[in-house]
Amino acid sequence: MEQKKYWQSFGELNQSEAYNKDVKDEFREELPFEAEEGKSFLDAKAPRRDFLKYLGFSTAAAAVAASCEMPVKKAIPFANKPEDIVPGVANYYATTYVQDGDVVSILAKVRDGRPIKIEGNDLSPITQGATTARVQASVLDLYDTSRLRFPTIDGKEVTFEAVDKAAAASITGPVVVLTSTITSPSTKEIINQFLSKYPGSRHVTYDAVSYSAMIQANEATYGRKAIPSYHFENAKVIVSLGADFLGTWLGAAEFSKQYAAGKKLNEKNPEMSKHFHFESVASMTGSNADEKYLHRPSEAGAVAAALLSAVNGQGVAGISDARLKAGIEKAAKALNENKGAGLVVSGSNDVNEQIIVNAINEAIGAGGKTINWAATLNYRQGVDADFVQLVNDMNAGTVGTLLIYGANPAYSWFDAEKFKAGLKKVKTTISFNGKMDETSELCKIVAPDHHFLESWGDAEPKTGYYSLIQPTIYPLFKTRQWQDSLLKWSGASTDYLAYLKNYWSAKNGGESGWDKALQDGVINPAAAPAASGASFNGGAVPGAVSAVSAAKKGGKIELVLYEKVGIGAGQGASNPWLQELPDPVTRATWDNYVIVSPALARTLLNIDLNNGGQADAYEVNPPKKVVKITAGDKSIELPALIIPGTHPDTIGIAVGYGRSEKVGKAAANVGKNAFILAALSGSNVKFGNNDVTVTVTGDKYPVALTQTHSRYDTTQGNRTEVMKELTLAQYKHDPEEILNERKKELAPWGGLENFEKDGTIYPVFDKPGIKWGMSVDLNSCNGCGACVVACNAENNIPVVGKPEVLRGHEMHWLRIDRYYSGDMDNPNVVFQPMMCQHCDNAPCENVCPVAATNHSTEGLNQMTYNRCIGTRYCANNCPYKVRRFNWADYTGADSFPNNQEGEVNDVVINMSDDLTRMVLNPDVTVRSRGVIEKCSFCVQRLQEGKLAAKKESRPLEDKDVNVACAQACASGCITFGNVNNPESEISKIRKNNPNRSFYVLEQLHVLPNVSYLAKVRNSDEAVAAHGAEKKAEKHAEKEHA
Amino acid sequence: MHLKYESQLREPLVDGDKDYHQVTEDIVRPIEAKPTRLWYIGFYIAAALLLFGVYSVYREVTYGIGQWNLNKTVGWGWDITNFVWWVGIGHAGTLISAILLLFRQGWRTGVNRAAEAMTIFAVMCAGQFPIFHMGRVWMAFFVLPYPNTRGPLWVNFNSPLLWDVFAISTYFTVSLLFWYSGLLPDFATVRDRAFTKLRKRLYGIASFGWTGSTKHWQRHESLSLVLAGLSTPLVLSVHTIVSFDFATSVIPGWHTTIFPPYFVAGAVFSGFAMVQTLMIIVRKVFQMDDYITLGHIEAMNKVIVLTGSIVGVAYLTELFMGWYSQNKYEGYTFWYSRAYLFSPYGWSYWGMMACNVISPQIFWFRKMRRNLFVTFFMSIIVNIGMWFERFVIIVTSLYRDYLPSSWSVYYSPTIWEIGFYAGTFGLFFVCFFLFAKYFPVIAIAEIKYVLKTSGENYKSKVGHIEEQPLEAFVHEHAHHH
Repeated sequence: MEQKKYWQSFGELNQSEAYNKDVKDEFREELPFEAEEGKSFLDAKAPRRDFLKYLGFSTAAAAVAASCEMPVKKAIPFANKPEDIVPGVANYYATTYVQDGDVVSILAKVRDGRPIKIEGNDLSPITQGATTARVQASVLDLYDTSRLRFPTIDGKEVTFEAVDKAAAASITGPVVVLTSTITSPSTKEIINQFLSKYPGSRHVTYDAVSYSAMIQANEATYGRKAIPSYHFENAKVIVSLGADFLGTWLGAAEFSKQYAAGKKLNEKNPEMSKHFHFESVASMTGSNADEKYLHRPSEAGAVAAALLSAVNGQGVAGISDARLKAGIEKAAKALNENKGAGLVVSGSNDVNEQIIVNAINEAIGAGGKTINWAATLNYRQGVDADFVQLVNDMNAGTVGTLLIYGANPAYSWFDAEKFKAGLKKVKTTISFNGKMDETSELCKIVAPDHHFLESWGDAEPKTGYYSLIQPTIYPLFKTRQWQDSLLKWSGASTDYLAYLKNYWSAKNGGESGWDKALQDGVINPAAAPAASGASFNGGAVPGAVSAVSAAKKGGKIELVLYEKVGIGAGQGASNPWLQELPDPVTRATWDNYVIVSPALARTLLNIDLNNGGQADAYEVNPPKKVVKITAGDKSIELPALIIPGTHPDTIGIAVGYGRSEKVGKAAANVGKNAFILAALSGSNVKFGNNDVTVTVTGDKYPVALTQTHSRYDTTQGNRTEVMKELTLAQYKHDPEEILNERKKELAPWGGLENFEKDGTIYPVFDKPGIKWGMSVDLNSCNGCGACVVACNAENNIPVVGKPEVLRGHEMHWLRIDRYYSGDMDNPNVVFQPMMCQHCDNAPCENVCPVAATNHSTEGLNQMTYNRCIGTRYCANNCPYKVRRFNWADYTGADSFPNNQEGEVNDVVINMSDDLTRMVLNPDVTVRSRGVIEKCSFCVQRLQEGKLAAKKESRPLEDKDVNVACAQACASGCITFGNVNNPESEISKIRKNNPNRSFYVLEQLHVLPNVSYLAKVRNSDEAVAAHGAEKKAEKHAEKEHA
Repeated sequence: MHLKYESQLREPLVDGDKDYHQVTEDIVRPIEAKPTRLWYIGFYIAAALLLFGVYSVYREVTYGIGQWNLNKTVGWGWDITNFVWWVGIGHAGTLISAILLLFRQGWRTGVNRAAEAMTIFAVMCAGQFPIFHMGRVWMAFFVLPYPNTRGPLWVNFNSPLLWDVFAISTYFTVSLLFWYSGLLPDFATVRDRAFTKLRKRLYGIASFGWTGSTKHWQRHESLSLVLAGLSTPLVLSVHTIVSFDFATSVIPGWHTTIFPPYFVAGAVFSGFAMVQTLMIIVRKVFQMDDYITLGHIEAMNKVIVLTGSIVGVAYLTELFMGWYSQNKYEGYTFWYSRAYLFSPYGWSYWGMMACNVISPQIFWFRKMRRNLFVTFFMSIIVNIGMWFERFVIIVTSLYRDYLPSSWSVYYSPTIWEIGFYAGTFGLFFVCFFLFAKYFPVIAIAEIKYVLKTSGENYKSKVGHIEEQPLEAFVHEHAHHH
């Protein structure tokens, strides 16, 4: 049989050549390279040499094409090393922060000849190492690019010789030296010497926000034209009638320190001072009050009179609001029960009110206890009437020469136009101000003064207590101390340094005394003078009471002008750190605005914060409705912010804004000048107006808020894991309430003791050696923001400017969250400093794909900037939202050239100016665009501290390390240290406060290293939030049963 | 003998009584003809979008992520939303090719080529986002684990983002190989028909010297099976791992164990919708109605209604758990930030619900499943809905998380954020237009395979062929080459 033929393709059937070749090749195993008749691979068409040639050429071409010029920066070593400067080692010089009467003894940290950080001077018995936000920020003012760099005559640059010549030729009597409050005894002497040359001359003190009513009232009742010292630490009951004594009233750093003493709670013996606050517009101090009552500004006198009457046992009259009336009675009762341990202060600039306040203090025996006349406070000495007289004299043409130092009435006087008109009639006008401010630009001669960090000087914040000023850097510009100018012009042959040295050597034990005083920075009385009262003359009291009772009723809406912690009366306006510091109460940056109450918002703005949808819309959209405020013939338009805790018929506007752009880029076009709405009332300036009209313009204006939502109770439950607060009564009733709450929460996962271990399926690691930890006492934190600015300065935190804050791009490593609880119209306020919690089980660490953030053996959550690729996953996964991303080239540290212009605003670009950059801390990396950053627990300080201990071959102690925020805090609410050392302060705090300690969001098992001490309010009103929680719990239990 | 059981009730997989030659002709025609005016218009629009995207990315790389409206609280927004969206779309291709191959679903052959191409392009688009969302994209190579000169520095294997790197790159590689290996015989067909030297050369290179020998087919089939086997778990793993980006975090709304299956179902859902969108266009423009039949459309619509309902159940489960857990943080996210219509982003949640859960229910009706217009409209709606889903998950969880103090202002994108997204559309369609022009959009070899079971022409002629003498057959078919 013939073999049957099967085929698969035509090729196979026909046995074509191609087919046969395919079949032959189909199952080949060898590499095809050698197929070409034994030729080796190297002989192929593109051999290795060609390949290398091409590679070399293309690399070279790419390198040539891509090469670009790198800027050459030269570091020049010292030819002769100065004795005191060791590169990389900081020197600390004791000096004094002085600005317009404010005095704080400080240490300036100087690195390689540049002051870079301000720290409090512990040797001062007044401030005891406390600082404020403005003190912390003042180092940046030194490097302000808008500082005057040379003297000018008629706006043209001249030398100081020319200035001296011109002054000699043009100073004619009568001369008036117009200054802000001068606390320097030597300067006062120099002024007097100078003035004595010109008969009929005088020195006028002008305070932008004056305290003349207090001075006058004290003159009327105590016969002393001064302000006494206050001792809040001795007061068990504090009643403030609108005095923002923790923020802006007189010596806030000093008072914060004193006040905090009464707020520290001993768990074993829980006693606290009690703070009643009566005010019209929500203030920082009011937010800290144990009990706060609202009244109309026009009722302020009536409230004071009612309190006096109640303290005297005559009951409260003339107060219609029931809650307010009850509050006054309660305050009076508390004051009477604590005779000799009470203190009443008032922020009013009305003489009658201050006289009544003096009468109350007299009635409760405050003199010699909480009020000390043995040492008067010198922070403010201006009397408005003197300045009114000066303006009149100027307009009358009876002032020959006006010398201006510190004062800036062309900006801050309510009737600036009249002042300016008068200035034109003065023959010779000379300004010593360091900047071309609103007043200086109208002066003929401008002879700029040094910044205080370049100056010599002294200050007497409190009579008998002195603080010395020494330069920390050679003057940056052609400036001269104004005392030198005065000395020269009065014909003295000595310069100010010699004068000062003589002055103090004579008073204070010669040359060595001077040296020691300079080193200490302060000269204190050998023994603190015993506190004493002063003899009270009550004659003026009945008149004052009847005057305030007869006061005109306020209009529909009343206005209060107030100062902000950072900006003050405008001094902070040109400082980018202060502009970007969120206001403690409103959380707003870079603007002033109209504060309205939730009640007024409902009727005026059609926004009801109790309506979820409206509240959401208000919160999530930065543009706020603009309102027009008209007071008499003056009006301004500003956006309205709704701030609970404000009286329904009152609005508030901050002064200090709307500065001339010549004082700095940060001040330009920021807010509006609200000083124009002030008016003379009697002989004093009234910072407010009892009858204004408010109209909605229909426009909107974006306000850069850093916090949009303020309540921690939500529609789905009260977030008590975030914030814990309770009243003292509650605490005494059940001290373990918070502890039990925590125990209950963690019970399913091993309870408090075993939560770390049982709350996870992963192994738990030992933590030997150092373990860094922090404790924040919410009771004594008053929200002032000094820590925030200190953190900015210490850690080179970039300023981002308003447009970026609007977009939620602010870079602060430390922020102070402000929460409301209870009634929205008059809520409880609590401040919570929030920074990286350095979690031991950090959710940010495990999500970083490149391990750029990781944990140190000492419990630090570390950020490795040059490893970071910027996925932002860590920031998303941080429950505390403390991680900050460099959205743009804020620092100019980027390797991409020219990418700031148009993307960040002028203020931010100015922060990378060579001059401004001198403030940078060389120990801390300046971060570039695209990386995450966050609180490092000031790791550079920790390293320094560890090194110090190591060099002395001893274990690390508390004194070796402190973080910048804790150091800046006037209230001492932040404690930092090694929790593994049982002797450390932090260990003791945690051990001694088991009932108040808590960790934020503890239930997440992220194991934070920052603990908080719960806020305890000395009030018998239950904190609504917790009450509600309890009710819900009981309800649930019932249902369960 | 047929490998498959052929039901008398099923409709044929290829309509129009095609024979092998006709199939080749139909599919290769667009490659050999000049592109139509429509093609040019589409291509230029896509190219313009791509250029705008390139410029948007240039700005972002040069000036920083601040070009986008993300903030301290909302660290991811449109970038990662778009990433997950594109990855999701990139699911259908491999699902169709791999899983349906393993399940011997004959109907896949009509759509698998284009679906796989879509997958490749979608994953390419998706990859842009995790790369360019980095603040320092020039350091992106830090995520690659390779022995380096940076000391003991290594990637963090705990990070879901790193898992993403592996998952996406593996998926892309395998999908690309699978797609390309399927293309080899078809490229050879195009090469064999080439009418210019250049075409012959280029398609010759692209076909890797395919000759159609038995060994080639044998290897090709084994490779397809192996790759199908590899791809199948990948289809499930990719989106599972993408979901881990969220599920392993601590943020309420992200920290959810339901995410892996929910994400995979959502991905298949959106992937099939995108296949529908493209297929309906392709069948119209290239007149491929005979290959992409109403049967195909209907089958895919069934998948859409199934997966749409799965994600619907997932949404309801989340809501239920938000309440049942009595966790106030989750409760707030699910019941206020999302489900409360009048909360700031309530619209996006209800947009998602309407698009993904409610509207696909229309496909319970056969008439609707077979209606081209409805299908096309729904395919767009579903992809909008799936975009909303990712936006809801990312933004509504982040913008109001644990600390009320950090709640964000309203996040809406900048023009450059939108531009980046538009740019990926440009990239996708530029690739797809080029694909449609130069690649066989339907797998020629594979469709011929199902022709045997479903081609009427084949069946009617098969008897005749079997009886024909060899010479007559050769004579009859010789001109077909």
